[in-house]
Amino acid sequence: MSIAKLKTVFSRKDTEGVEKETHRNTLILVKKTFQELASLKKFLVSLIIMLIPLIVTIAFPSTIEYESISPQHAAAAISIAIVFILFFWTLGISFICIIGTSGASLISEEVHSGTMLILVSKPIMRVKIFIGKYIGLFLYGATLSFVAIFSIGWIAVLRYSANIIHFFGIIPFLFVTYLYSLVLLLIFCSITLALSSIVNRPRNAGLIVIFLVIFSFLGMMILKMFLADSYETYYLYIIDLGYHLGNIYVGFLDFFNAIPPVAEWQTWFAQFTGVYDIASPTDPDQGINPGGMKRTDYVYPWVSLLVWIGIAVFLLIYGLISLKKREISV
Amino acid sequence: MIKRKKAYEKEAEFQYEIWSHELQKIYGKKDKAFEAVKKINLRIEPGIHGFLGPNGAGKTTTMNMLVGALAISSGEAKIRNEKAGTVEARRLIGFLPQDPVFYDKMTGEEYLIYMGKLGGLNKMEARKRAQELCVYFDIFNDRTRPIGEYSGGMKQKIGIAAALIHKPKLLILDEPTANLDPIGRANIIDKIKEISKTVSVFVSSHILSEIEQMCDRVTMINKGAIVISDTLKNIKQQYIGNTYELDTNKNEQILKSLERKDYIQNTWLKEEDGTIQIIPKDADKLKQEMPKVILENNAILYSFHIPEISLQDIFMEVYVEKGDKK
Repeated sequence: MSIAKLKTVFSRKDTEGVEKETHRNTLILVKKTFQELASLKKFLVSLIIMLIPLIVTIAFPSTIEYESISPQHAAAAISIAIVFILFFWTLGISFICIIGTSGASLISEEVHSGTMLILVSKPIMRVKIFIGKYIGLFLYGATLSFVAIFSIGWIAVLRYSANIIHFFGIIPFLFVTYLYSLVLLLIFCSITLALSSIVNRPRNAGLIVIFLVIFSFLGMMILKMFLADSYETYYLYIIDLGYHLGNIYVGFLDFFNAIPPVAEWQTWFAQFTGVYDIASPTDPDQGINPGGMKRTDYVYPWVSLLVWIGIAVFLLIYGLISLKKREISV
Repeated sequence: MIKRKKAYEKEAEFQYEIWSHELQKIYGKKDKAFEAVKKINLRIEPGIHGFLGPNGAGKTTTMNMLVGALAISSGEAKIRNEKAGTVEARRLIGFLPQDPVFYDKMTGEEYLIYMGKLGGLNKMEARKRAQELCVYFDIFNDRTRPIGEYSGGMKQKIGIAAALIHKPKLLILDEPTANLDPIGRANIIDKIKEISKTVSVFVSSHILSEIEQMCDRVTMINKGAIVISDTLKNIKQQYIGNTYELDTNKNEQILKSLERKDYIQNTWLKEEDGTIQIIPKDADKLKQEMPKVILENNAILYSFHIPEISLQDIFMEVYVEKGDKK
């Protein structure tokens, strides 16, 4: 190849072609991360994992005759039927584990395999690499939870009443649930990516998130059963992530008035998260809690929300600094 | 108060491609500290510059510091007068690490476009450049295949193409021919030589013959310290020595006759091929008298010259001097 031709291929004037670093660099990483996570196979497997228990649960016959009640009541009944499983499994154990295991490899795997070495030699700040991966993971989670929540709503409507009017009726409830899932993502994307940039082995970062979820949703629940007195006495709810997440979700549902406050669903939250007081007074004639169960209010929902957003922001900054200082070599 | 620039800071402002002042890398802390790079001063001028040293000498650590992957423990380094590791400096360089790893599921073209965009090119420009480079590196027909299916040589080509995609001013290549077969190696060397006509190249290797084929200037590093840095010509001149080699049909007889001459400092027979090695006191006199010596001994002259010295010989000599060779 002649030198003149080579010059056109390789050399450039200082300003030609190459732009100053812009936010577009971050968007490129967002797109790459999203595409990497959202392969059709992976997405469908994740979706099935999130939906299966709910499909199994709603397979049981319902005693309510949806044709004979008003659309508002029918929508409320459907919401009540799915609210706890949405919280506990779909957006709880399965969703957080999926985000944890997907996000854990985003930085540590690139460092471990060696692709990060090429990435950090490119004219892009490490902070932007981190932010790009965070937003990519967040968008993947947001897409997954949106599809999961609205699929569940649709499946539940089909199963119980097969009336599209009822689906429109539960949309506000589904949106509030989706809003909660975004808060959840904000928290767990931060935890996962911070771990991913600190821990050397991708597997370890994923395992830590899974352990945290199991401890929060199952471990603390069992602890609450056996140490009911100590739970309050020793302020164990402070470290109970399950309680805080329940508190935030219930706070959202209450704030937006997305679901009637009845013991039918509140009992589940009382037993599993401690958000409601199991010993709430019951009307002796009707056998129900008029106006719903009494909240334990160990902390206000907005306090739980702010504390966990604070923790998320702290971890985000910590993860950023860790990646910035990290020595990258193969 | 006007800060007066130190002499070495002023020097950095000259257009060195790479400049470092007491660049140091220490791994670990206190008792377990290990000095991988020992306060080296690099002066890499435009052109193609070889970075030589045995495995573990500190080549990769130095290069990783220059591209910003590793933090500099002390000292400083600049790439074309931009502080090494900054975004501005990284915009000027294209880097191929040792044993590069790629996203195996991406096709070659997708990877190049992705790297181009990260390098600051827009989508159209990145696609155009990717295709140009695929043509240049003879991988155009394979550009739509996943990189995971590529051979070692093709992966190296994609790696160099990815380093070149944003049209850098300087290419930093860490052992670009490692793990390649001889044909792949020759191919990559040819490409690097060609590229170096328009882009400066700083290339590391522990294979001396490769560096000798490619480079005008060489820096040798051992145990984290620079042992020599100059043009290949000057280095050879410096190490060429003063030893003449003589070969005739009567080497032993001529050796005895030479031992008595006052212009000879030392002479001996080389074990490997039996040629006479001569270190003269007066080289001109030796050259003047040599025909006479041949005639006196009625011998046939096969050759009389200063033997060509290779980088390999210098490399070995340098490490012998430094007490590395046992």
